[in-house]
Amino acid sequence: MPGTRPTRKATVPKAAPAPAKKTAPAPTKKAVVAPKSKKRTVEEAQDDSDDEFGEVAIDMASDDDDEDMDGDDESDDADDFPEEGEEGQDMSAADLDEDEDEDSEGSYMDGDSIADSQEELDDEDAEEEDESDFDDLVEDDIDPNFGHNLNEPLAPESDYNPIVREYPEIDPVYDSDSSTEENDNTVGNIPMHWYDDYPHIGYDIDGKKIMRPATGDELDKFLSTMDDPDSWLSAHNYKDGQDVKLSAEELEIIRRLEGNRIPDADYNPYEDQVEFFSSKTEIMPLSAAPEPKRRFIPSKHEAKRIMKIVRAIREGRIVPRKSGYVPPKPKYYNLWNDSEDKPREEHVMHITAPKMKLPTHDESYNPPAEYLPTEEEIKEWNEMDKEDRPKNYLPQKYNALRNVPGYGQFIQERFERCLDLYLAPRVRKNRLNIDPESLIPKLPSPRDLQPFPTRLAIEFLGHEGRVRSISVDPTGLWMASGSDDKTVRIWEISTGRCMATYHLDELVTSVVWGPSKEVAVLAVACGYKVGLILPEKLFSPELTLHSEEYLKAGFANVATGEPNPKAQWKQPTPAEFEKGIRVWVHLQKPVKQVTWHRKGDYFSTVAPDANNSAVLIHQLTKHQTQQPFKKNKGAVQRVMFHPTKPMFFVATQRYVRQYNLQRQELVKTMQTGVKWISSLDVHPAGDNLIIGSYDKRLCWFDLDLSSKPYKTLRYHQQAIRSVAYHKRYPLFASCADDGNVQIFHGMVYNDLLQNPLIVPVKILKNVHQRVDALGALCVEWHPTQPWLISSGADHTIKLFS
Amino acid sequence: MGKLHKKGKAGAAINYITRNQALKKLQVTLADFRRLCILKGIYPREPKNKKKANKGSTAPSTFYYAKDIQYLMHEPILGKFREYKTFAKKMAKVMSKGQYSTAKTLAENKPIYTLDHLIKERYPTFTDALRDLDDALCMIFLFATMPKTEKIKSETIENCQRLAAEFQHYILHTRSLRKTFLSIKGIYYQAEIKGQTVTWLVPYQFSQNVPTDVDFRVMLTFLEFHQTLCGFVNYRLYSDVNLVYPPTLDLKLDEGGAGMNALIIESTQSSANIAKTVNQSTTSTVAASLSKEEKQRLQESEKRIKALSGKIAHIQETEDNTTTAEIDQDADSAMDEFPAPLPNLDGTAAGTVTFTDIQRASQHLTHFQSLFSNCVIFLSREVPRYSLEFVLRALGAQVGWDAVLGEGSPFDENDDRITHQISDRPTQGHRFLSRQYVQPQWAYDCINAGKILVGDTYFVGKTLPPHLSPFVEAKEGDYVPDANQFEGQTEDLAIESDDEEEEDEEEDEDEDEEDADEDEDEDAEHKDLHQIELEAEAKGVAFTEFEAKENKKKIKATKAAKAAEPASTAPTTRSAGKKRTAAEAEAEEAKELAKIMMTNKQQKLYTKIQYGKNKKAAEVEKLTQKKEQLAKSAKASASKKAKK
Repeated sequence: MPGTRPTRKATVPKAAPAPAKKTAPAPTKKAVVAPKSKKRTVEEAQDDSDDEFGEVAIDMASDDDDEDMDGDDESDDADDFPEEGEEGQDMSAADLDEDEDEDSEGSYMDGDSIADSQEELDDEDAEEEDESDFDDLVEDDIDPNFGHNLNEPLAPESDYNPIVREYPEIDPVYDSDSSTEENDNTVGNIPMHWYDDYPHIGYDIDGKKIMRPATGDELDKFLSTMDDPDSWLSAHNYKDGQDVKLSAEELEIIRRLEGNRIPDADYNPYEDQVEFFSSKTEIMPLSAAPEPKRRFIPSKHEAKRIMKIVRAIREGRIVPRKSGYVPPKPKYYNLWNDSEDKPREEHVMHITAPKMKLPTHDESYNPPAEYLPTEEEIKEWNEMDKEDRPKNYLPQKYNALRNVPGYGQFIQERFERCLDLYLAPRVRKNRLNIDPESLIPKLPSPRDLQPFPTRLAIEFLGHEGRVRSISVDPTGLWMASGSDDKTVRIWEISTGRCMATYHLDELVTSVVWGPSKEVAVLAVACGYKVGLILPEKLFSPELTLHSEEYLKAGFANVATGEPNPKAQWKQPTPAEFEKGIRVWVHLQKPVKQVTWHRKGDYFSTVAPDANNSAVLIHQLTKHQTQQPFKKNKGAVQRVMFHPTKPMFFVATQRYVRQYNLQRQELVKTMQTGVKWISSLDVHPAGDNLIIGSYDKRLCWFDLDLSSKPYKTLRYHQQAIRSVAYHKRYPLFASCADDGNVQIFHGMVYNDLLQNPLIVPVKILKNVHQRVDALGALCVEWHPTQPWLISSGADHTIKLFS
Repeated sequence: MGKLHKKGKAGAAINYITRNQALKKLQVTLADFRRLCILKGIYPREPKNKKKANKGSTAPSTFYYAKDIQYLMHEPILGKFREYKTFAKKMAKVMSKGQYSTAKTLAENKPIYTLDHLIKERYPTFTDALRDLDDALCMIFLFATMPKTEKIKSETIENCQRLAAEFQHYILHTRSLRKTFLSIKGIYYQAEIKGQTVTWLVPYQFSQNVPTDVDFRVMLTFLEFHQTLCGFVNYRLYSDVNLVYPPTLDLKLDEGGAGMNALIIESTQSSANIAKTVNQSTTSTVAASLSKEEKQRLQESEKRIKALSGKIAHIQETEDNTTTAEIDQDADSAMDEFPAPLPNLDGTAAGTVTFTDIQRASQHLTHFQSLFSNCVIFLSREVPRYSLEFVLRALGAQVGWDAVLGEGSPFDENDDRITHQISDRPTQGHRFLSRQYVQPQWAYDCINAGKILVGDTYFVGKTLPPHLSPFVEAKEGDYVPDANQFEGQTEDLAIESDDEEEEDEEEDEDEDEEDADEDEDEDAEHKDLHQIELEAEAKGVAFTEFEAKENKKKIKATKAAKAAEPASTAPTTRSAGKKRTAAEAEAEEAKELAKIMMTNKQQKLYTKIQYGKNKKAAEVEKLTQKKEQLAKSAKASASKKAKK
């Protein structure tokens, strides 16, 4: 490989590569090289005369450098000398022709093997061949060696004959790089397949096409490989389309690359370090500076640090380790002072941990038999979550102590206790230690509060629908009832006989007797109209006559002009008149409730659907109708006249409002706190009021006290339908959809400071059967006797005395 | 207008601190915080209003009392924890560098913390410490039986064993054991120390299986504290009764499985003597060694001295044992005499009453403390010696045991003095006529009963009467298991009691019946009654009250009459039953009516209480039913047997 490496000399590696390997290719090479070398010798002989004195000066200079380097090497390689000498001898024996060369170049020979030297010889040959082409231009590079030889007889070097590797000298003239010399093709480093389709493979320096050299077919190739013994050493050069024989050096490089070694066999990556600065006192030191002072005096910094420690020891901060055995301090001593052995007072915020629960009988190893769990209990216990179990063990019985096994959960339980002690949030809980019976209020015994109805006396049967409304006539002899079977019936209270039946054309929602004893009149709400009935044959003729006239008087007083569209007073048909109906009042919406003023002249109707005309007040004697409220303030449920004063109560869904009719103003709004008021009644004295609600509550209002209920009671299981005060006795009652009727003693005192006394006295259970989720619908007291009458959805009316 | 109060500046908002806040404040890891909490006895709280405590948030969190955490900030142990952390870091660094000499120095200066100040802080007085001893003792007795694992060091176990033995010795010495109970979990002991009851649970002596789901770091931190507490308490207890603490351990006996007997208990006076003798002997040996004797001889003599001192101690102890009874008796007599001057001091009637009470109680106690003093008891090889020896000796018995159960038995099985032999086997082969053979439960039942029970019930191989817990104090309405368990005639008794109940019921019915027949009687005394009624009304007595009074009077009268002729009432019982239910119904109705007038709050409370009561009643009912059933089945089986 001419010119791949600049001329350098490398020291001979101490460990010489295995010679056997390297020597192997040698014979074959010799065979090849031999003729060439002969040829060369001839050439040399020719050239010698010319080239003797070419560039002596230059080459000499380069030689000097080399010699310097060699001087070092010699000393190092002294040991290897004999071996190398041998090699050298072998080599000289082999190549007699080259003796001269060898000798002359001995000092440069660096190589370790014959192969190397051989290669170099080859290189030289190649060069010389090249040179032969450019004889005129290039001086022979061997000349200086000859000069060297001539000038300096290097006897000792040649004696031990160091194998120094030699690279061919490069003549530093223009275009000395021989690599380009034989390459005619000027296409450069391009993929050659670009030329595959052309007959040429490139251009020479003159721009002429270089034609593709003729290649034989496969047979020719084969034959040529068979003929040429070096064919296995050749590689195809695509650039000029020819086979090139690889040199031994190139093969060596390939081999080394395959073996993952450095391609250059002579490169030593681990060269010895040259110690320039070492402990050895050099005769000729690199630096002539004098030794600094600090090398001779003790360090101040160290002194400082030492003093620090010394001071610490003096002050007792560092206690030097004591040698020998140090007796341990007593672990336990009297920690508590005897004088102040009073248990600590608990801090308010300190909560002592509760002690573990002491074991009960069932934890015994031999408990009484009744404590042992049954199979179902065991199963239940096993199925329960660990946290839910009331006790963390199952009682078990062992016949003898020797049979008792170890308790498996012992450590877990102790661990849980530990966790409880430090993880469980503690809270102080005050346990109420009271007798539950003390919570029940002490009430006067119901026996002391008699009379009140306790038992069923009479049952009124005959209706075929829910009895929505009942009313007792002021004399207390008759009772009227209105039912969903579109009839109104009048009963004799003392016997339970039905005295009269009025068939109407609509459901009867409300029946009320007129309150006056002078006028016998029954108001009946039925659909869109209110009828006034004069029952015949029940009352004395005088009373009947008087009533007849009273009812008739209105028609005479009818005001002229446009009839009021909201309420039209009409005369009944003769058939109806025959029955007893005297007046019809037609309203715009269905009427739910009729209620009389205490004097019996006025009556009020409630038609909840009729917006602002929901409440109307009618005057019987004048056949007039007034609309007291301009605005609608919620769905009106019930209305009621005050028993003594010109007051008017209106119950909407949630509020009860009290109006003064004379002054036409709102007096009071009562906040009931219930969801939906169902019924309302005013105490006969007029200062108290009860309401019942669909959400099961009964509220007692003291009108003088507050707008909030004085007492709210919740005892019915279902919606309350009706509440009623007794006119004479301190009694009131409520009935509900659960079919029960509850009777209370409700005493109102004249003393304003004393609160009303409310005492439940009787629960009448299941008075009416529940039909379609409706039970008792209406309760009414007898005006003079402590008798209670109730009607229900089961078509019955019952009287309790 | 009052001062405006800013939100979150007072009350729960600053009284409580969440755990994470505490961690940030203290700058410790959670693990360190937990250890600190265990050692310091700090526990989380449940504020009344969580929202207020947590600054309006309702997220679940643990709250601590803010001052607890504040005090933690300057806790010396916290500093020690930090020191230890740096030490561990340094050590790791040094070890990884392989600087072993530095490591050694470091290891010598390893930060060590003690818990003495914590004990003093948590229990300012000795009584406080005694109050909280239950958990500590349970832990120590548990760990004394634990196997050594990689987490539980053998030193810890040994220390626990030692502390447990020391404590038991104190109980023995002062005879302060009061109650014992054999449960399925272990054996409960209750002692009374300086007026405080201390209860602890000892597992049965089996090897504990160490569970995997238990965090032993937590348990060991607790144990660390409990050990220290127990050590200090033991010291104090020992020094209070003039005993040397720590008692020396006899290694030979310990190896021989003597258990707590391996500890040599010495009183302070005697120990001084022993110390003297030992000192003398040691000085002599020193002199000997000075007189150029061989090393071997020196060692031998040392050994001999050790043995000698051990022997001396042992002798001393046995002397103590023998004399303790006398000493105790002396002490008892002194105690008996002590209260005598009391009545002189306060001569009031009340004072005398308390005096007699005290006297009775003290007499009872002294009697109890020497319950087994006349017993010499031998333990067969199959009974748990560790427990029985403790229990029996604690009440004055002399206890010997089979050689299998360990060394140190004062007498063997053939000793003539033995009065009881406790054995737990199906049948007893050879019997000594001079002694009673009983099962182990006998000892425990005797203690709980406070008297020596008849041994026949507990004879070897017999079915034992049930063992009841002495810790249960029966309240009204509780289920009381058969009280006459010692008689062993449970079935007959049950029947008898049933009969009695029936009789009682009949009586009641009679009374009511009489009550109901009042109308008839009324006719006779109608006039008088009317007059009295009027008088009562004039006085302002409510009619019902008056009536009730009258009824009572009548009942009394009728009772007297009935006593005179009990047979005549029998045929009318049926009709009376009905009427009684009517009366009951009336009362019930009155109650129901009254309930209507209860406020909402009262109603809720009432139902709550009733719920608890009903539950309890149901349980009692269940137990009684079960018992009845059992009795019935037992009767049936007995009758079957009889027929066969």
